[in-house]
Amino acid sequence: MALGLLAVSAAAPFVLLALWSVGRDWFYPAVFPPKFTAESWRDLLSGERLLGATATSLVLGAGTGAFACIAGLPVGRSLARLTGWRRHAGAALAFLPVAAPPIALATGLQFSFLRLGLGGTLVGVLLAHAVPAIGYGSLYFLGVFAVFDSRIEEESRSLGATSRQTFFHVVLPLLRRPLADAFALGFLVSWSQVPLTLLVGGGPVRTLPIEVFSLVQSGQDRLAATGALLLLVPAIAALAATRLAASRTEVMAV
Amino acid sequence: MTESGLKVLRLRAPFGTAPGLENISFEVAPGERLALVGASGAGKTTLLRAVAGLGPGAAERIEVAGREVGTLPAERRGVVYLQQTPLLFPHLTVGENVAFPLRVRGVRGSRVDAAVGEVMEALRLGGLAKRRPQSLSGGQRHRTALARAIVARPPVLLLDEPFASLDPVLRHEVREAVRVVQEAYRPALVLVTHDLDEAGALAARIGVLLDGRLAQVAPPSHLFTRPASLAVARFLRLPNSVPGTIRPDGSFDSVLGVLPLRAPAAPGPGVAFFSVDGVRIAPDGAIAARVVELRYRVQQTTVVVALGDVRLEVPLDGQGELSPGIEVRLAVHAGAISVFPAP
Repeated sequence: MALGLLAVSAAAPFVLLALWSVGRDWFYPAVFPPKFTAESWRDLLSGERLLGATATSLVLGAGTGAFACIAGLPVGRSLARLTGWRRHAGAALAFLPVAAPPIALATGLQFSFLRLGLGGTLVGVLLAHAVPAIGYGSLYFLGVFAVFDSRIEEESRSLGATSRQTFFHVVLPLLRRPLADAFALGFLVSWSQVPLTLLVGGGPVRTLPIEVFSLVQSGQDRLAATGALLLLVPAIAALAATRLAASRTEVMAV
Repeated sequence: MTESGLKVLRLRAPFGTAPGLENISFEVAPGERLALVGASGAGKTTLLRAVAGLGPGAAERIEVAGREVGTLPAERRGVVYLQQTPLLFPHLTVGENVAFPLRVRGVRGSRVDAAVGEVMEALRLGGLAKRRPQSLSGGQRHRTALARAIVARPPVLLLDEPFASLDPVLRHEVREAVRVVQEAYRPALVLVTHDLDEAGALAARIGVLLDGRLAQVAPPSHLFTRPASLAVARFLRLPNSVPGTIRPDGSFDSVLGVLPLRAPAAPGPGVAFFSVDGVRIAPDGAIAARVVELRYRVQQTTVVVALGDVRLEVPLDGQGELSPGIEVRLAVHAGAISVFPAP
């Protein structure tokens, strides 16, 4: 019963989205669309609006994922090396942009970015997306390094590897999976971001969620549903990748 | 000692809340095996890590193959420190693991293949090069870790409790692997262990670490028969101790009779320590004793005998059938008995 409820509550919105994206002349009180059409999908693939927004979202997602890795790894590693109140304070600092309401974060960043000339630019939006993503990444890597056996680094150095060689030849290869996870985390933070994009990007930066938002507002339900389905793709891909990776989990050391 | 693989001069290192290591000096020649023994928390691992450059500590001088390395980072010391549990790199194959020290030194091509092949052959790892460490048995992992440690021919190899928590079969396998490595590559080898028998069987010399200081460094035969102090004798847990009196004429008077002292000691109450070899059962022995118990062991069966209140453990060397209650005669080997003033 409980699982049935979960299945309905989790799947129903997406089933409805799928129906909306292909349904035609679907009015109350019809339970299912009387006709189906692939028009909105054709529009999506041929029109520049959603394709362009998808491309922008992909670029921002990839950039944000990179930030989550490149900044999150060293920050998380440094936090893991701290002890006592310093570690707690550091973790709280990393948690702040994650816990803060996105609209509050967006408002704060908007004021700063406008002064820096970054308002309404792709770079500005990327940096804005990176703020919560770095927080997520740092917290994620804090967890990773809390259980990472650092003796393997000592082993490497004792065998003659410099700190740099140890990082690139031992630590980094062992962190392939966590890095992929952190990248996916950063990507998803950016992919679904609306408040930061709206406030920092102003009007010029059009991402997929922004387009879907405006399609919903303008009543273009079928196209909005199609765009929303497209938004789901990376999340489902990330879920599948995590499941796949979990089934072939590597050990950190033997 | 003219040639030095490792020379440590006045090393100090903190550990935990204890005072730490103080004034530790020792040398190990190339090809020599030194075992460091001491109670848990004596600082054995701290000492190895300080020498390897992986832990805190400072020395007046740490010399490796004649070169001062005390201020160098771990990777430039020429000292390989092997932890108790072999930590192989799980993302590399066995062959890649063994080749790692050569690769990070910039060695490439056939030289790597030759060196890796040679050491893997010596350690019976041939045919395992393509395997992942996760698929190896416990013994193979230890041997791979040893192969990787020695492949770049470091002048000094430090082994931290290499036999701890191993079952007897694996212990024997790893011990033999250490012998092979040491005889083939001749590094100065320092081995930390809490097992005195292991130390005696494997090392040319044993260093006893007590209260942060190196109390004695001596060959096993010397250490076990001539502990330098009461503290060392107690640490060695020599099976026999006999109370008595140190006399002004330089002798020791006890149930064993009057024995000459090997070294001068202040007159007064004293205690003699000795291993099972200090006293033996002999038909013409001067001391009468009664058999209390026989202790059967694979290596050496011993007999516990009583001299009044004192009990001694002595070797059973083909004296025929002995059983509790039988009277025996004992002969004392004075040279194997160490006497110290009683605390």
